Amino acid sequence: MTDDCSSDAGSGPGTAADTPTRPGEKIRCHPSIIAERSLSAIVVLAVIATQLGRGAVPAVLAILFIGLVLFNYRQWSRTTIQFNERDVVVERNTLFKMKKTLPYAKVASVNVNRGILNRVFGTSRLLVNINSGSGATVPEAVLTFRQDVAEEIRAGMAERLYGHETVAEEEPAEPPVSFTPADVIVHGLFSVSTYQTVSGFAFLAYSVVQIYVSTVTGAGAGGTALVSLLMFFTIQLAPSVSLIFHYYNYRVYRRGDTIYLEHGLVRTYKTSFDASRINAIRVKRTLAARLLHRSCIEAEVVGLASGSGESLRPVLCLLKDDATQQRLLEELVPEFVDEHGRERQPAGARSVLLIRAALASLALVLVTAYPSIYLYHETAALTGVTGLVLPYALPLATAAAILAISYATYVSYRVTEFGTGTDLFTFVNGAVDRETVVMNYDRVQMVRITRGPVARIFGVARGKVYLLSAIGGANVSSGYFAGSRLAAVGETVMERIASGEYDYRKNSI
Amino acid sequence: MSFPGPVNGQAPADEGSPEPGAGADGYRRLNRKCMLSMYIDYAMWYAVLLVAYILTKTYAEGFLGSYYDLIGYGFMLVLGIALVYIAVAPPVFYARYRYRITEDRVDVRCGVLFIRHTLVPIERVHQVEITRGPINNLLGLADVTITTAGGEADIRYLEVDEAEKVADRLNNLVGRMLRDRMPATPIPRPGAADE
Repeated sequence: MTDDCSSDAGSGPGTAADTPTRPGEKIRCHPSIIAERSLSAIVVLAVIATQLGRGAVPAVLAILFIGLVLFNYRQWSRTTIQFNERDVVVERNTLFKMKKTLPYAKVASVNVNRGILNRVFGTSRLLVNINSGSGATVPEAVLTFRQDVAEEIRAGMAERLYGHETVAEEEPAEPPVSFTPADVIVHGLFSVSTYQTVSGFAFLAYSVVQIYVSTVTGAGAGGTALVSLLMFFTIQLAPSVSLIFHYYNYRVYRRGDTIYLEHGLVRTYKTSFDASRINAIRVKRTLAARLLHRSCIEAEVVGLASGSGESLRPVLCLLKDDATQQRLLEELVPEFVDEHGRERQPAGARSVLLIRAALASLALVLVTAYPSIYLYHETAALTGVTGLVLPYALPLATAAAILAISYATYVSYRVTEFGTGTDLFTFVNGAVDRETVVMNYDRVQMVRITRGPVARIFGVARGKVYLLSAIGGANVSSGYFAGSRLAAVGETVMERIASGEYDYRKNSI
Repeated sequence: MSFPGPVNGQAPADEGSPEPGAGADGYRRLNRKCMLSMYIDYAMWYAVLLVAYILTKTYAEGFLGSYYDLIGYGFMLVLGIALVYIAVAPPVFYARYRYRITEDRVDVRCGVLFIRHTLVPIERVHQVEITRGPINNLLGLADVTITTAGGEADIRYLEVDEAEKVADRLNNLVGRMLRDRMPATPIPRPGAADE
């Protein structure tokens, strides 16, 4: 459960504004949280009032609003935060009492972000996350403080967590790579998955054709054109624009063992985490990015939830040219530079992939056979271009899909790789959007090797490695390799535990 | 079908003489009652499928139009395949299911069409849970779910006593590991040597 409150260190019970982190001292949230929480409700109430604004309804809604403000006031006034020597205690003494203790030893990150209301009130949100798989998507505490107080608390906590202070606002930091607004826009446009882009543009094309046809025929554009346009906005445009806003002014740098991220246009984010918290690194290349010779880096770090629904996987490098990406990887996370060789899938994998492709194609043919015949009979009598194309549209589409399946199979066989080293191992996957995942053996939670009926004939298997990820549990799948090769991952994990090479103190969750 | 052996040829930490009830390779098998549990479970799902088929045949002709016959044949095909699977799957599942708990790992090998080999280091175990559904309750069976920070693994269809023993054993192993990690002697206070 997230504890969401905000604090004015200066007006807390018996507190002094300049010493917000004095051990044991109880402080309260900034009172602006009352307005912040109540404002979101006023929008809903205003909508209801405009729709049902007759009789006693507005008066009832006004009473509801006053009640909500009083409720939020009570929540604020009875919630206190204590920054002790060993832990942070958030306590709420209302009808539903709550006391949450967050030991510094378990805290994964302390981050600050600022939205529009925070800027209006001169506050910042302080997000405290613990390294937990179960609540990975929601921060354990969201505390809004006056901006300077939030920064001070964050610096104090970072000192406890990472052993040194975070970089102050005015202290210049030297990012190894600078990102221009053009980089941010390119990242926003081309880091979206190819499947998403293709389906988004298919909807756009459909709506354009519909609007064109309706213009030519003089009839009004139908609802389907507008729905398609809306789908394009939802699937393609909105995620791209959201990414551009999210990563505007992007900076990344490392100081000691701590990695710092700063970005954001409307809501600004300052995130830091210890490099030892990284469970895996993903180097991603969408089809468009590959055509531009660009790639980006994401990290699997638990405990970076902001509670606002944004992507939880921190981006360590926006789409940049491959050489720059590699340089940044080496400077930021040298722990995850894999220098081991990688192997391609054995010949048995090719047979399995071919049989899978053949079965998929056969299923497609069976599914489309009857509709194809039906469509042929229905449209055979048509004349002109429509009569020439429509009867064969479905068989042609099926043939195109089978060609796509065959090509994807060929590419999948060619690009899928697997490599094992002393501390790290790597899976490379993706026929269209390619992903290289570098993982540390010490972060592997569980290994599962699966052999399907066809794979058994050809002596190969697929591996699935379970890790603690930014969204809780996650797994990474391999291609088809010899079972003994994949089993080596689990066995290396076991050997490292048995030999004492695995240090539980560095990897405790 | 053969799976790769343990740890690059090395035996797991406590692999010596097999446990009572375990095979020569240290793996234990399930009770045959697991097949009965699976048959009952599958029969219930098959009944649901059959009811859906009968309802479609009886009432959906007008709604489906020219697709009525095609969907009917498709349904019959699915029912036939499901029937074969239901007849064959439980004995194959029983024959293939193996599990082993050693000092350092939980090892489960199972599957009907897709054979899975799951390895969970004891070091990564966060939680152990015993669950019993209504059918398993009737037959005196239970599942043990092992939770790690990255996912879950199950040891299914154990007899209740065996499930309790497995859970106890896992809890003991995890507890012992945690105890071993605690400092053996209290950390001396600064200046204590001078006193």
